[in-house]
Amino acid sequence: MKKYWVAYQIALQETLQRRSTLIMDRLGGFAIVVSLYSFWTALIGDKTSFLGYTRAEMLTYVLALNILRSFVFTGRGWQLVGEISSGKISSYLIRPLHYYGYALALDMAQKTVHVAASIFEVAILAWLTGGALFLPHDPATWLLFGTAVVLSSLIFFFLEFMISSLAFWTSESGGPLFCFELFLQFAAGAFFPLDVLPLALRKALEMTPFPYMVYFPVRVFLEKVSSAEALRLIGLEALWLAAVFTGAMTVFARGVRSYSAEGG
Amino acid sequence: MSALRKYRRIWLRTASMAMQAQLTYRLGSFGFLLGKMIRLLFFFAFMAAVFNHVETVAGYSLVETALFFMTYNLVDMTAQIFFRGVYGARRTVSEGDFDFYLVQPCSPLFRMTCSSVDFLDIVTIVPVIVMTGMVFARLPPLGAWNYAAYALLLANGVALIFAIHVGVAALAVRTQELESAIWIYRDVMFMGKFPVDVYAPAVRWALTVGIPIAVMTTFPAKALLGRLSAGWIVYAIGLSAVALPLSWAFWKDSVSRYTSSSS
Repeated sequence: MKKYWVAYQIALQETLQRRSTLIMDRLGGFAIVVSLYSFWTALIGDKTSFLGYTRAEMLTYVLALNILRSFVFTGRGWQLVGEISSGKISSYLIRPLHYYGYALALDMAQKTVHVAASIFEVAILAWLTGGALFLPHDPATWLLFGTAVVLSSLIFFFLEFMISSLAFWTSESGGPLFCFELFLQFAAGAFFPLDVLPLALRKALEMTPFPYMVYFPVRVFLEKVSSAEALRLIGLEALWLAAVFTGAMTVFARGVRSYSAEGG
Repeated sequence: MSALRKYRRIWLRTASMAMQAQLTYRLGSFGFLLGKMIRLLFFFAFMAAVFNHVETVAGYSLVETALFFMTYNLVDMTAQIFFRGVYGARRTVSEGDFDFYLVQPCSPLFRMTCSSVDFLDIVTIVPVIVMTGMVFARLPPLGAWNYAAYALLLANGVALIFAIHVGVAALAVRTQELESAIWIYRDVMFMGKFPVDVYAPAVRWALTVGIPIAVMTTFPAKALLGRLSAGWIVYAIGLSAVALPLSWAFWKDSVSRYTSSSS
């Protein structure tokens, strides 16, 4: 476990060292949040609620997106594709560590910095807009939300890991990964609450792991679901995580078996 | 005239080579193409779904909001088709390829910005044009002047984006870094998906005067709808008239300071 902790610490230092890249990354993300925030503010207009969300709830949803994007949607998929394609993964395979554990440690370092930055951004935006945000009334909600978010982050990580592992068989896995990431952001509710979609489409999406990544965690935070329902959703999330983890490990193990590299 | 023919030939040749390369990677290309389509269709579906619940957004109807969204896509994708090379500008410089550009009988700026064509962008713009046509068909009858102003400001928007891309390419030549500058532009450009009227006055001002995303994306659609004054049209064209020579001067200065970064 210690080696992963060391990898996490080194990656954290590296991320903090590239300050200009970090600031530019955050600036871009901030522009998207301002954009969505403004659009939803215009949509709500003078109404007291929209799609069952009060003004404070809707704006909290949009701002929570910024934090969840930083925590959930930062996997190591593109790095894995690059390392398989370039053969760099060979050097990890001969080390006494699990590649996915190492990748998870690096991912956690990135998440640490980006989540801290996103909380700061949300605080600024909340302050600029008068701070009309929704905060949970029940302290248990924080725990339920935290659990849901950790699980959703792991689901994303292993889903992306699984798709990126296609690079063991084809040098064209970047295309499917790009497609997956774009589809996921919409299907997860990372641009808008899924309530806006027609019921049939929403029901279809609920049969996939995608809404568990953003839409459900935010609904838990907004106390739109009862504690019992939140626990049921977290249970389903855990099942999805188990399925995705097993799938990712199987694909990765088979990929490693079929992997060959020349040169040093 | 012969120079124009030469550059047209170079561009067509590089586009053809890009297409052949992408056809070799069918699965990858299909994935990227599908992803681009998903992004377009989902946003469009989102807009349509939103208007099941509201009549207007910032005073614009569904068709008008769709017009803003499609105009954003037209400007953005046209720029991506022609100026894609800037996305790899830092790599071009740091790996030494820029040295070759300088000795070729062709403008290094053209080689840097325009001669790296993503064929998938050309494929993706087809549905964008079709969808824009569908939006046009649902607009109330408009005068020829409105369409002329729309076309003019659309071209003006692409010219402004070109100026920004030249600036980013110049930064890459000058610093061999700042690759993420182009990605900031991409993220900020996201704000152009919605009419600028949805933003708070300070943000609206920043998007009109600071980073003129509104001039590139919102102005053409507003002109078509007859909601843009002549003063703002003059401002938009004046902005390009200033931005283009400035970016060109910055590029020339950056190239004159270039000392090669590779062996």
